[in-house]
Amino acid sequence: MTGALYGIRVLEISALAGSVAGRVLADLGAEVVKLEPEAGEPARRAPPLIPTAEGEESAAWLAYNHGKRSVTLAPGDDADFAALCRTADIVVTDWERLDLDEMDRLAAIARQANPALVWTEILPFGRGGPYERYPATDTVLQALGGHLYLNGDVDRPPVRISLPVGLVQGGAEAASAALMAYWHALKTGEGQRVDVSVQACIVWTLLNSTMAWQILGLNEMRGGAIRKERANRFYTRLVWETKDGYIFFGPVGGGGGSARIKSYDALVAWMAEDGITDPILTAHDWNGDGQFFIPQEDYDAVTAVIVEFIRTKTTDELMARAVDQRILLAPISSVAGVFDNPQFRARGYFRPLHDDTRGLDVELPARWANLSATPLKAPAPAPRAGADTAAILDRAAERRTA
Amino acid sequence: MSLDATPATTGVFAGLKVADFTWAAAGPIATKQLADNGATVVKVESFKHPDSIRLGGPFIDDKPGINRSGFFADFHSSKLGMSVDMSHPDALEIIRPLIEWADVVAESFRPGVMKKWGLDFDNLRRINPRIVMLSSSLYGADGPWARHPGYGAQGQALAGIHGMTGWPDRPPAMPKGAYSDSVSPRYALSALVAALIHRERTGEGQHVELSQVEATAQLLAPEILAYQVTGEEMTRQGDAKAGSVLHGVFPCEGEERWIAIDCVNEAQRDALSGVLGSPASDNDTVAALTAPWDAFELMAACRAAGVPAGVANKASDLLDDDVLNAHGHFWPLDHPEMGRLNYNGPAYRFEKTPSELRSAAPCLGEHTEAVMTGILGFGEDDIARFRDKGLLQ
Repeated sequence: MTGALYGIRVLEISALAGSVAGRVLADLGAEVVKLEPEAGEPARRAPPLIPTAEGEESAAWLAYNHGKRSVTLAPGDDADFAALCRTADIVVTDWERLDLDEMDRLAAIARQANPALVWTEILPFGRGGPYERYPATDTVLQALGGHLYLNGDVDRPPVRISLPVGLVQGGAEAASAALMAYWHALKTGEGQRVDVSVQACIVWTLLNSTMAWQILGLNEMRGGAIRKERANRFYTRLVWETKDGYIFFGPVGGGGGSARIKSYDALVAWMAEDGITDPILTAHDWNGDGQFFIPQEDYDAVTAVIVEFIRTKTTDELMARAVDQRILLAPISSVAGVFDNPQFRARGYFRPLHDDTRGLDVELPARWANLSATPLKAPAPAPRAGADTAAILDRAAERRTA
Repeated sequence: MSLDATPATTGVFAGLKVADFTWAAAGPIATKQLADNGATVVKVESFKHPDSIRLGGPFIDDKPGINRSGFFADFHSSKLGMSVDMSHPDALEIIRPLIEWADVVAESFRPGVMKKWGLDFDNLRRINPRIVMLSSSLYGADGPWARHPGYGAQGQALAGIHGMTGWPDRPPAMPKGAYSDSVSPRYALSALVAALIHRERTGEGQHVELSQVEATAQLLAPEILAYQVTGEEMTRQGDAKAGSVLHGVFPCEGEERWIAIDCVNEAQRDALSGVLGSPASDNDTVAALTAPWDAFELMAACRAAGVPAGVANKASDLLDDDVLNAHGHFWPLDHPEMGRLNYNGPAYRFEKTPSELRSAAPCLGEHTEAVMTGILGFGEDDIARFRDKGLLQ
């Protein structure tokens, strides 16, 4: 079976964010061709680096660029670039690879060569006005998007998520936006420019914060393990220490829904089996309509009892019971926890990558969706810089003379 | 009775028809992108079990109510709302014509719910052979945890995002929100639109199935690869960041005012020293120097000097943010019970086919009759009969 985007050609001029967009499109079956300078794009050497048979290479670059092709173009080789654009459907690029002047120059060449082309740009703030040139990094955008303010412990400064989440989200957003524009091009023959704002991508991770301000005049506050969930007025504990790690769990006061009520009832039943029947556990309807009006000291009292219980269990014990009894908790997974997750394993989420040239024999989180008629492509080695230059430029030239 | 929401004539998905059974956040955020780009999206809720986030705050006037949640509203712009008793044995009398009408059926229930209603992919395909179905669930449709209930905060813990947030010497600090609810819709949408493109080219429909946790764990792909090669696990790093020469979040004047500064080379650090009037030698020194500054003035000075810096915006700041407002990121929309609120628009912009948030979120069942008559071709007598049976409220 071929992928859903079989035959669709994508050109990628990228650092990290653009390569994530290309990753999504390649997984869905598009042919993704990276355009690189002779020495390879700088992202090949971005941290964290890992040792391979070819020397040190970027883990992020390998993870997001496997299964793509690579063409190297000499600086100023606009004729070959235009020829490639004539046979392409989508271009993706980002500001960490191209400065805006070069991006505009290349966009003009590309769109003149192919009016049906979808030209996709990932920018810190999107297009327009003076702000399109403001300097920014992923951390700066986590801050400006409003998410960083809400993360961390109250007695220390707020912290970023220790991953380039803005860049990766921006890449995923760009993939979906490029496909929406391609859908339009497929139906009408009209190409267009699509720009993605990473700041706005971060705003979208807040879920209800902008509404909480408008409706309640409430700016939420970071709280580490203990915070006000879902714009609540009271604090509840959400991170719990187990015998051997941590779980996430919001047993009380987390909003409505019968699942929360059943989850809490199952917890209380389990605690009773261990002889824990403190009256505070049943002193309120902790997840019912009155939850918003229970005093803070009662939330603290019930939490103190639950803390002691959870400490006596391992993370695996807690999750096994949770799945069996529908308790709404989850292990706070480390990288190894994600890699070993039994649910991912059972679903075939990880797929092997054999890269003989680099001496890599690993598993990648490759099957992020299951498409019944057009499955995602399996991982294949990432290209060396320029591996496909001759073949792809020849193909573009044939099309030109045909 | 006419449809209250304006049918779109522009937008990339004008003419696309969507039967939307999604609920909570991850599903509705995906179908919102269809609706805000011109698709006719009919959100179907069961009035006995309405969308759970209608029960999550913030509520207008701080009073809980089924049509009062801003949390719900933000994800439901441009959608029509109908409510049916989905557990009624005759529910398919209403739903079957909706499936015949639709190009896309989307759902985000715990696996098994759609099948219980006779609406699993095999049944949908019998009703409408070209249908494209999107199923987004927290853990995925199969595997040992498939039917375990959960929501996005569990998702971000399992996907590794929670563990990557906070200080290395402390327990992981929970990141705000529910990261799987905001990351997974981008992957779901890409797969769904790819399936639509495939159908346009071949005539073949299909089922797109996705686990929100698996989609979110795409963010850790590099760390998962590195772990297998080096045996070392990356974890939360507090204010450290590899590759930066100076990186941190620093205090400014006022209550809980912070600025993130991230110098990725020595030239930027020198420029920061110039702005601060003293060498930016380490984080403690910089924190002492930023403390008397107004955060926004310092950000402007850093921008002028080419130093990457951003105020740790609060929600209130976002509504006033010059850049977001210059984009028209927020869309003021009027709702009969909630009044006018600013909804979040898309993070992408199309040059020639602009997105448009056409209407506020529907009240529960607001468009039931309009959809029944205007889209499904039922008459007033049918509606009365369905009401007598208890299928409709």
